[in-house]
This record gives sequence, C-alpha cells and structure tokens, in this order.
Amino acid sequence: MTPRKDLLDIASLSNEEIEFVLANAAPFKDLFRRSVKKVPPLRGRTVLTLFYEPSTRTRSSFEVAASRLSADVTHFDVELSSVVKGESILDTVETLEAMQLDYIVVRHKQAGIPNLIARNTAASVINAGDGWHAHPTQALLDAFTAREVLQDLNGRKALIVGDIQHSRVARSTSLIFRRLGMDVAYLAPGSLMPRQIPDEIQTFGNWQDAFDWTPDIVYLLRVQSERLDEPFFPSATEYHNNFGLTDARLKVLSDRKLWLMHPGPVNRGVEITDAGMNYERSLINQQVENGIAVRMSVLYWLRPGAAPAV
Amino acid sequence: MKRLYKNAQIASADSPKLQTADVLVEGDRIIGVAASINDAADAELIDCTGCVLLPALFDIHVHAREPGQEQKENIASCAEAAINGGVTGFIMMPNTTPAIDNAGVVRTVLESARRTRIGASIYTAGAITKGRRGEELAGIAAMKNAGAVLLTDDGFPVDNPQVLRRAMEYARDHDLPLASHCEVKELSGKGSMHEGSVSYSLGLPGIPSISEEICIARDIRLAEFTGTHLNIQHVTTARGMDTIWRAKQRGIRVTCEIAPHHLMFNHEDIGDFDTHYKMNPPLRTKEDNAALLEGLIAGKFDVIATDHAPHTPFEKNQDFASAPFGITGLETALVSLYDRYIAKGIFGWDVIVKHYSAQPRTLFKLPTVPITEGGTAEFIVFNPNRSTTFRREFMKSKSLNTPFLDKELQGHIERVIYRGEELLAR
Amino acid sequence: MPTLTHRHLHLDQTQMAECIQRLAAAIAAAHAGSDNLALVGIHKRGVPLAYRIAHRLRTDHEIACVVGTIDITQYRDDLGSFAILPRLEGSDIPFDIDDAPVVLCDEVIFTGRSVRAAIDALMDFGRPRCVELATLIDRDGREFPIQPTYCGDRIQVPANQRVAVRFAEIEDDQEDAVYIESVPPSHA
Repeated sequence: MTPRKDLLDIASLSNEEIEFVLANAAPFKDLFRRSVKKVPPLRGRTVLTLFYEPSTRTRSSFEVAASRLSADVTHFDVELSSVVKGESILDTVETLEAMQLDYIVVRHKQAGIPNLIARNTAASVINAGDGWHAHPTQALLDAFTAREVLQDLNGRKALIVGDIQHSRVARSTSLIFRRLGMDVAYLAPGSLMPRQIPDEIQTFGNWQDAFDWTPDIVYLLRVQSERLDEPFFPSATEYHNNFGLTDARLKVLSDRKLWLMHPGPVNRGVEITDAGMNYERSLINQQVENGIAVRMSVLYWLRPGAAPAV
Repeated sequence: MKRLYKNAQIASADSPKLQTADVLVEGDRIIGVAASINDAADAELIDCTGCVLLPALFDIHVHAREPGQEQKENIASCAEAAINGGVTGFIMMPNTTPAIDNAGVVRTVLESARRTRIGASIYTAGAITKGRRGEELAGIAAMKNAGAVLLTDDGFPVDNPQVLRRAMEYARDHDLPLASHCEVKELSGKGSMHEGSVSYSLGLPGIPSISEEICIARDIRLAEFTGTHLNIQHVTTARGMDTIWRAKQRGIRVTCEIAPHHLMFNHEDIGDFDTHYKMNPPLRTKEDNAALLEGLIAGKFDVIATDHAPHTPFEKNQDFASAPFGITGLETALVSLYDRYIAKGIFGWDVIVKHYSAQPRTLFKLPTVPITEGGTAEFIVFNPNRSTTFRREFMKSKSLNTPFLDKELQGHIERVIYRGEELLAR
Repeated sequence: MPTLTHRHLHLDQTQMAECIQRLAAAIAAAHAGSDNLALVGIHKRGVPLAYRIAHRLRTDHEIACVVGTIDITQYRDDLGSFAILPRLEGSDIPFDIDDAPVVLCDEVIFTGRSVRAAIDALMDFGRPRCVELATLIDRDGREFPIQPTYCGDRIQVPANQRVAVRFAEIEDDQEDAVYIESVPPSHA
C-alpha cells in the first residue's frame, strides 16, 4: 500500500486503501487485550489535535490511539473567541509548521478546512469532522463494526435515520457502506433530506416504508440542535414521535434481530429511548472501542511528508 | 501618422464570415477598408496575415473596486487589465466603499477614470438605494447629471418590491436603465455554491436555482408594470433565461447578460473546495451550461459581460464558505471564448462582436465601433495561431483569482487600437 | 519480482528435514523435562519453522510445547523508509510467557535486526525466564551482537545473493527447499 499523506474524506480513497485500513485495525484491536497496550511505530512522532469544535469522545479516541502507538500527543488550545474565519487558520498552521509536527487531527465547523490545512503543511492531516462534509474515521470504524457482525457486507442493507442534510456522518458512512457493497437508504423529514443525493440511495419519509425495505442495520443520527439555525421541525417531541426510535419501533428491530448503530453522543428521548440504549443488538459500544483501533490503523498508514494526494 | 494593417480577416456583427482586407488608419479614423490598399507608401506597415481584426470590446459589468478596496484593484489597474483583454470601455459597478450612491462619488470615480488611457470610455453605474441597503432611493437625478449611465445595487438584489417599483419609475423618467442582480436572499441563505449533487457531496449549504428564477420573474413583472428598461445581470439558469426570452417576445423592455464563466464552468469544477470557482451567482450544472450556450447562439442574450470581480489571494485562500465570491474576467474573456468556442467551430466571430462589442454599446446609446471606412479606429488584432499563457507577469490586474492562472489557451491579443492609438502591441 | 540471474539449490527437502530434526534434538537436550517451553515463530517463515520443530519435539522427544507467532513489522527500525507499507499480520501469543523459556524461531538470521525487533515485541507480552534463538540458516553479516542458540546450517553468502527458504505450507512456496539466489543490486 503506497503511503498517503492525509485522510480528508472517504471519497478520495480507493477500495484497496479502505480494505488495508480495515484489515490492519484487527491486530490493533487485539492489542487491547494485552497488559502492555503499546506498540512502537510512532515512537518519536508528534500527534497534535486541533479541535475548533468541542468534542471529548473523538478527541480522546484519537489521543488514546496515538499514545498506544507510542506517539507524543498534544492538544492545541484554540481560543474560540478569536477564531472567526480562515485567515487565523493559516496563521495557526504556519505556527504549527514551525513546530515540525508529524500529524494534525482537525475538527472544524466549516467544510474544507482540513483540505486547506493539508495543502499548506507537510504534516499528515486527519479530518476528524468538518462541518457537514466528511468524518472519514467515523465511517471506517462504522464499516469495521458492521463487518464484525455481518462479515460480508455485499447485498446487505443499512438505513440511516435523521438529519441527513447536516450530517457528515451520513455522507461518509453511507459512502463507505456503498463502497463495500451495501445498499443504503435515508429516512428523514423532508426538510432535512438534501434535494439531490446519489441515485443509488433510496429515500423514505416514514418508518413503515423504511421497514418494508428490510434493512439489516438501522443507523441513527444525532439530532444536532446546536447546528440548526432555522426551525426544521416543530419540536423534539414531534421528531421523536415521527422519526425517533420509539419503543414500538425498537420492538420491530428486536423481532427482526436487526443491528443498531449510532455515532454518539446520544440524545435520549429524541432519536432513541432508554430501552433503545439497552438493546442487546446495539453496536454503539463496539463502535467506540473500534474507533481507537481504526484510528491506530489510520495513523499507522498515513505518512507525513508524502506527496499530497490528488 | 498612417498605419496600414495588411491582409487581415475582418470580423463583424453581421455574419460569421470574415472579410479579407487591408485596413488603413490615420489619426483616430479608419480611412480605408479594401481588398487591397496599395497607395499608402507613407504608412507604417503591419502584416496581419493570419490575424483577425475585430471591433474592440465593451464590458458593462466590471468591479473596479475604487473607492475603498484598492488592495484588490483600482480604476487604473482595471483599465490596464481591460486593455490587456481587448476591452476599451466598461461600466463600473457601485458596490464600493463607500458605495457610488451620490453625485460626489460619481464625479470622483469618473475623474479617476479620465486619468487612464481609455478614460473617455469608462463609465459608472450608480446605486439604486443609499448604501445599497434597499431602503431609501439614492439621488438618482443628481447621479445622472454627474455622469452615471446605469442604476444597480449589484451584489445585492432590491428585496422590497415597492422600493424597486419606485426606483424603476424614477429611472424611467430619467431615461436610465436599471440593472438587477437577481436573487432572493432568504432562499440563497448562507449558500456558497449551487444547491445540487455537488453541494451534497461537499457538505456545503447551497443556493438553489429558484432564488434567481423567482427574482427574475418578479423584476420583469415590475419592469413591465413601470415601463422601465430592465437589464438582468449574470443569468445562470436555463429557466431564468427562458423567462426573459418570453418577456422579450411579449415586447417588454428587458435585456440580459451572460458571463463567460457561466458558459464554461459548472459546479463540478469546484472539485476539492477550489475557491477559484466560487462566485455569486454560482456555477450551475452542465445542463445549464449547454442551455445557456444554445441561448447565446440563438440570440437570447443581449450582451456578454464578465462581472470582473477581483479579490486578493489572501482572501481567496480560505475555506470555501468564508472566501469571497468572485472571479476576474477582463483579461481572459476574449481568449477563453476563442479557445473554447470559436477555435472549435461552436460559434463564429460574429457572436463575440455582436454581444461583446456592438450591443453593449448600443444598450447605453454609445456609438459602436465596426471596422468600416470612416469609422473610429477602435479594434483588436487577434492572432489565432499564437497561444496565451496567463502567467502572473502577463496580467495587469492586481488580483489573480481566475481559474486560468498559469494555463495556456489558444489565441493571442497582439494589438489593441483605441481611437487610432496603439495601446498594446506585442 | 526481481529477475534472477542465478539460483542454486542449497538444501533439498530431505536435507531441510534433517536440519530441522537436528534443531529439535538440540532444543530437546537443553530443555529436557520442561513443562512450559514456548516456541515463538517470527512472521513470515519463522512460523512454519516453529510448528515443525514443535511437531518434532512432540513426536521424537515427547516434549510438549506451545507455539505462538509474532509480527515484528511495527518494531522494525526501518519502518519509515518503506516505499510500500506492509500489511500487519498481528501477533498471536495465546499463553502466558511470564517465567517461561521462549525459543524464537526464524528461518534465516542475517544482520540480526529482525531478531532485535522480535525480542522487543516479545517483551511487551511479558517477562520470559530466558529467550533463545533457533534459526534454520545462519548467514554471516551481523550488524547487531545477536547469535542463534540453535542453528541448522551456517553459510557464507556474498552480498549480492540471498538465502530463500521455501516451506510447502506457505501458499506461494509450494515446496520445501533452501535456495541461494543472486539478485540485481537495485533490489530493495
């Protein structure tokens, strides 16, 4: 596998690269059962997390992954009040370049910021989520988790439910699922369904039609109230009743033995109930565990200083 | 001082056929156009074999950024950029800082224009409303007296139809055309590109076609109601173009512009968040490209206008949502139109002459500059057999936000003659 | 695949089997009566070697031992210079190595760097009582002060040649043999 400098999205990866990252995640996961959970490939390298949007779970997942690879991990404290536009970002990048960092993990609310940073630094840039655009490590860990329970994803079906329009998880995960042979469908209120999506993705406006399509996996998205600037639906209760995983819908999953996924963190009472959180075929915890292994695999694979990908 | 341009191919607005002829220029006039002029021994001889002579261009939609944004461009650099692209006259847009919304600023910018090499042919628009805020009408009569030739709040639509109605009535009374930047701000929202399949993949908020289409329909209805001459700027949607066409056929006084970039590029060109392809109104789809091109050939557009919008590299080098909208065009338009369409036989030279030289002038009651005996000597010598590489050193504009930067295109502007004087010769 | 200009058979199937028997015998003699002997094969071809030695120990010498495998990729000192990044096999040591005698197995020892990496990897699994090394072929050219405890055959090989060991159980090998091949200087 020829080394690549950055991981910015799933769209620019070949299927071969996706398989490579997923395959290497397994030995990293095995590592967690040992008492010494550390291996040396990134010894002497520095990984910096540059999070313009707050996140404890993704950030700590990257930090644990980097530490287990023996890297030095550090966080750049961005003064959120002083960061308004992209100018500050390139100034920040110049500062980071002077520090000779190896890996920069970026999360930002504007799409394309990791791409902009990657063009302006020799360090390897990993996109930890940029606006509505992409969340490639989430997609990789979702694919890894789905494969753990289904083995071969060809011909299997995944239903992604929620605010598709504003979801980078929907975009990246639906793409990786399709690359691995799955059929994907979106279930969302009309106001949250993008007008034009790839032809091969089906769309549903209600759970009944979605269930008739017989999905194998139901993937719930978080309702992101902090990212909404217009009223897309009347209230959280309305959302829950029409599009949430109510206990009645949970029963359908249970009867049909369907798998449940969610990228976290979860809004109890909105997209999922307490009972849903305890569902025996929920993969939510595996997703978190696999996140560290997959991120280790990504850090193992990327090569700082390599020619930036096309 | 006579100059004989020998053995040239002359382009005109009437026909795609080129006329082979010699052109004799003395002073600021063309004193002879004939198959062979042999009795001009005292004339400087310029061999134009293989070259096309076409009347110089006039661009009705240019952002010269003066006053207030001179780091991007000023009237002097804009004039030089125009000459570099074969454009010998243009109309400046009023979205400056402060806006050109009163007679004082109109006079200031025109004075600045006079100091350039094509000063007599640079005109300015005035804003429709004070500060382009869409609330109170600007001093329209005063601006006209100071020399404004057009009214527009370009960059913004006029949201309030009542304000626009009053402005149109006033404009009509003062015999000034009114140009509309057509979009519905609420529908455009925070969009930074066309709302469609690419905005989905890139996760960017989109500007739907209906934003332009609805505003075009509204403004035409108001123009019909008030009897004013309405010019619709930078049309990007096939549907919008059709609405305008049907209105023309009903006899409504509406004209419209097409920008070269909306013919040549579409939303897929944005690729990996390339801000060189970010402008407002945005690049639409391949289908729109095809429909607009067909419309241009069929005569549905009155003029080609570049909407030359310079921005500094620093500003453009941001994430896509934050970067300013705009693409330059004065220096690249003619060569790129030749390279993409004339060289490939998609349309002839008459389309350029008609839409980018003759009609822009006619629309503003300015004399056209066809290459005929007795006419003003204002034309371009274009060499189809040379290429142009738009390197930084070649460009005269202060800004370089064009996707053609460092690209080599077919065709080369060798000379630009303005009122008999050679402003450019290479 | 580099084009080979010369290749000769050094050990055939029978000779190779005899080498392995000698290795097993030597290990048996040193660890007679041991109840927690562990053989750890170094990926790739140290693995079949370890299994074969273990089989001989059980059949010929009635010594029970466990077998594990170790992937040294992440411990290599030249990881940063790979043009093509290797895929990870993962290590599998499903037993406790604390206080156990461990015999690392590799088919060839040359510079000694692989064994250095293997020892580092092994130490992340626990604290063995001792670590020994069994190699089928010892080709001189050490860059580290590491020597095999048990060795099947010791040979001198010129710098432009390499030792290629084939095990039938490995898919691409299809036979048991030890070859000495010359390779063009550009081969990495």
